Formats: sequence, structure tokens, C-alpha cells
Amino acid sequence: MTLQERVGREVIVWAEEVGALTMQFTEVLRKLPRVLPIVGSVRRWRATLEQMLVIGVRALPLVGILSLCTGFILALQGVMELRRFGAQQFIVEVVTIGFIRELAPLVTAVAVSGRSASAIAAEVGSMVATEEIDALHVMGLNPVEFTLAPKYLATLITVPCLTVLSALCGILAGYVFLHFDLDMSFRFYFHAVVESILLRDVALAIAKSFVFAAIIVQVGCLEGLRLRGGPEGVGRSTTAAVVKSIFLVVFTDLIVTAIVYLTGWSSLG
Amino acid sequence: MKHVDGRAKGDPVISIQNLSVSYGSKRVLEGIDLDVYRGEILVLLGEGGSGKTTLLRQVVGLDKHRTGRIIVNGCDVSTCSESDLQNMRRRLGVGFQGGALFDSLSVEDNVALPLRELTRLADSTIELMVWLKLKAVGLSDAAGLYPPELSGGMKKRAAIARAIAMDPEILVFDEPSAGLDPIASAGVDELILFVKRAFDMTLLVVTHELQSAFRIADRLAMLSHGSLIAVGTKEEFTHNTHPRIRQFFDRQPDAVPREIADSLIASWLRKASHEL
Repeated sequence: MTLQERVGREVIVWAEEVGALTMQFTEVLRKLPRVLPIVGSVRRWRATLEQMLVIGVRALPLVGILSLCTGFILALQGVMELRRFGAQQFIVEVVTIGFIRELAPLVTAVAVSGRSASAIAAEVGSMVATEEIDALHVMGLNPVEFTLAPKYLATLITVPCLTVLSALCGILAGYVFLHFDLDMSFRFYFHAVVESILLRDVALAIAKSFVFAAIIVQVGCLEGLRLRGGPEGVGRSTTAAVVKSIFLVVFTDLIVTAIVYLTGWSSLG
Repeated sequence: MKHVDGRAKGDPVISIQNLSVSYGSKRVLEGIDLDVYRGEILVLLGEGGSGKTTLLRQVVGLDKHRTGRIIVNGCDVSTCSESDLQNMRRRLGVGFQGGALFDSLSVEDNVALPLRELTRLADSTIELMVWLKLKAVGLSDAAGLYPPELSGGMKKRAAIARAIAMDPEILVFDEPSAGLDPIASAGVDELILFVKRAFDMTLLVVTHELQSAFRIADRLAMLSHGSLIAVGTKEEFTHNTHPRIRQFFDRQPDAVPREIADSLIASWLRKASHEL
């Protein structure tokens, strides 16, 4: 196979992937009102709440601990470097802006990808393998509405909430380190944090977390629905779901950050 | 047959006309013409890989790669709208090979699912209907159990209970005896006959179990390598001289092709001479 053929084949595979993700997303968007409270079905909303518990609430310890560790590391590394230039007074800005703009959405997305993209792929994949999805079809029930839509809504609600929690944990960890290293008071730290936070950074973080949530649940569901080959296939699907979702999250983050940088949006005063 | 053809019994409730199915370059079904009449049990026989399950999936509209027509209860599965297809499916019960029960729901909730989702019946009515269906299949004591806690035979019974929950006119069943011991298998056969009598249903059953087929069938059809080679009554099948049917009924293996046999013998001889 020539290089051009290989490149062409890879491009076709990725184009199919993007096409399948888009079609699935459109179908879920059409069914999303059915899982909303009040306007939708009570049973679907209940299923959504259960999914919020599984995807969001049970991820709290993992996201919290990861964010605390990352915040601590960021403060530690930041102080070491800034001290060389006598600029350690900027450490609070480094931790706060770093976490709100970048690390909170990214750490949360990676944690949820590892926990939930694989779990969603395994659950949906098992339903495919045991013909449960076919059973829904022949009963006249829509599998997208019945199985996928509650997971979508639950992920879209919980990931931004987890992102806020991640930012709080990261900033708190920064304080713990700075308190012991620089004897910084909580009042001073708190004021510096409030000074550094910009509304547009928070908005950008929330927007990113919505996009990341959509990527995670999309990839998890798609890999599950594409399952081939029984129990071995479930293993392959879960691995593919984690790898693809983390890759797409990081790649999307790169694109968004590049756009923000090139448009000068982040430096607007 | 179609050396032997089934007797006409009015309008068919399932009519398959010149159906061919291909996946890529592989042709799975070729020119199938088959009618299933109201109130009968038609058993579709065939060796593994002959296309039985593919045909069944086509009938219930799960696969769409096809040429030809499939008409179920007056609805042309090939051309009807998605909403007509949904309506058709609501009058059709399907039993899957592995049961396809939802592991996260109890047996009771599995059976109640289509009633809760597709009707506006009161909860008390649904409870009563579920109990009646579970009683009919002999599972009223297992209502609270979850599918992983059930034996193979119980799963099949629960699958039948769910398939008949909406009182469908047609029941389609894929390999009802697969993976069951002879006693459980005989129990499922009797249950299928009971369901047909009690609920006045038309059944299309796919199987490769001869004993089971002869116990429940009003008519038989046989697929081989994607083609329908015979349709007829049990007596007609018993006397049929088609070589594939005789091979199937007499449990004879496929002959190894001459060139493969020659190459196996040659390789064995080479190995033997080398060892000597």
C-alpha cells in the first residue's frame, strides 16, 4: 500500500467517524426534549437523575483528589520558577488563571473520560451484544431516547458542575501549599484569587466543559453501538472510547486555546 | 418445492416476495418467497449460517439491506414510513435467541416495559396484565428476580412473556430451544403451543432442532445456503427426497471436498515420512 493510499484510507476512516458522531448527535438533539423535566417523560428524567448519580456524583472523589494534587503541583512548580525571577507574588494568578482557563476543564474531562466514556461504551456495547438494543427497536421504543439521551443530558449537566468543583479544589490546594511555603494568609490569598478571576475566563471554562462533556458521551455511546464480536468486542470498545475521547478532548482544547490566543480574546482588559 | 408448497389458507399475515440480502459481495439470502398464514406455526429450519436469523431480522425490520418485498400485517417493511414500521412492530412480538432481557430490570419490569412505555394503562391494570402473562408462562413466582438470576429455560419463558405483553397478533421466535436441556426445551415447545392456542397467534419460529420443529410446526420451511429449498407440511417433509433435506434429517456431515482431502492426506504422508 502506498503512502497516499494509507493517508487516504485514514482520512476516510476519520471522516466516517466525524459523520457518525454528527448523525448521532443530531438524533440525540431531536430526542433530548423527551428527557427534560416537566416537558419530557418522568421516567426518562428519572433515568437521567440516575445517570447523573453515576457519571457525576460518583466522580466527585476522583475529580476532587486529582484537582487537589494538580493544584498543589502547579503551585509548587510555579513558586520554584517564579522565585528565580523574584516574581513569586504572581503565583496566585498563575494557579487561579491556570486552573480556571485550562486545568479544571481538562482534568475533569480526562477523569470523566476514564471513568464514564469506558463505562458508557461497555454498557451500550453489552446491550448491543445481548440484543437489548434490537429488542427496543422491535418493541417500537427508540433506543436513542431510551438509552442514549439520559446519558447525554446527565453528562452535559454534571461535567460543568465537576469543572467548577475542580477549579475550587485546585485553587484551594494552591492556598495550602502557599500557606506553608510563603506563610500566606487566607484573606490575602482569597483577595488575590478574586482579583485574578475574570468572568470571561469562567465563561470560557464552562463553555469548554460543555463541549468536552458532549465529546465524552458521544464517543462512549458511538463506540458502544459499534460493538462487534461479543465480550472481546466490549474490551475493544471501552479502550477505544477512552483513547478517542481523551484525544478529542485535548485536540479540541488545543483548537479552542489557539482561537482564543489568535483572536486576542484572553488579553482583552 | 419449492418441491412442496404449503396450502393456501386465506391471506398471509407475513408475505416475503423475492427477497435477496447481500452484505458487500456476500449474498446471504437469494430469491426467498414465503407466506405465513393466520393462526399457523411456521418453523423455519436450516443449518447454521443458512440465513435463518437474517431472514427473521428482515421480517421484523431490523436490517434494511435487501431487494424484494416483505409485507407484515399489510405493512410493506421495505417502503413504509418509520411510524408505520413502529405501529407494525407494536402488533408483533419477538423472542430473541438469548432472551434480550434487560439485566437492570426485574422479570416483572421487563414484561411491564412495553406496556408502561407504549400504553396509557393505569399501573394497577399493567400489574394485572403482567401477572397474567407471567402466570401463563409459569413464572409468576419469579417476578421479582433479575435476568442473571434465571436459568436458561426461565429466561426463554420471560422472553415469551415480554413478547406477548402487548397481545401481538404475530410472534416471531429465534431459536427458542438453543442452549436448553431436553426437558427445558420440551417445556418451551409446550409453552409455544399453549401461547398459540390461548392468544390465537400466528408464529414464525426459527430453529435447527428437528424434534422441537416437528412438535410445534403446522408447516415447515427449509433454508440452505441462503435459498429456500422446501416449504410444506411435516408429512411432506418426511417424504421429501431433496438431498439437503435428507442430509439434515439423517444428521449426515458435509463431505470434505476432494482437493482438501487430497491435500490433507499429502501433508500427513509428508509428515509421516519425515518422522520415519
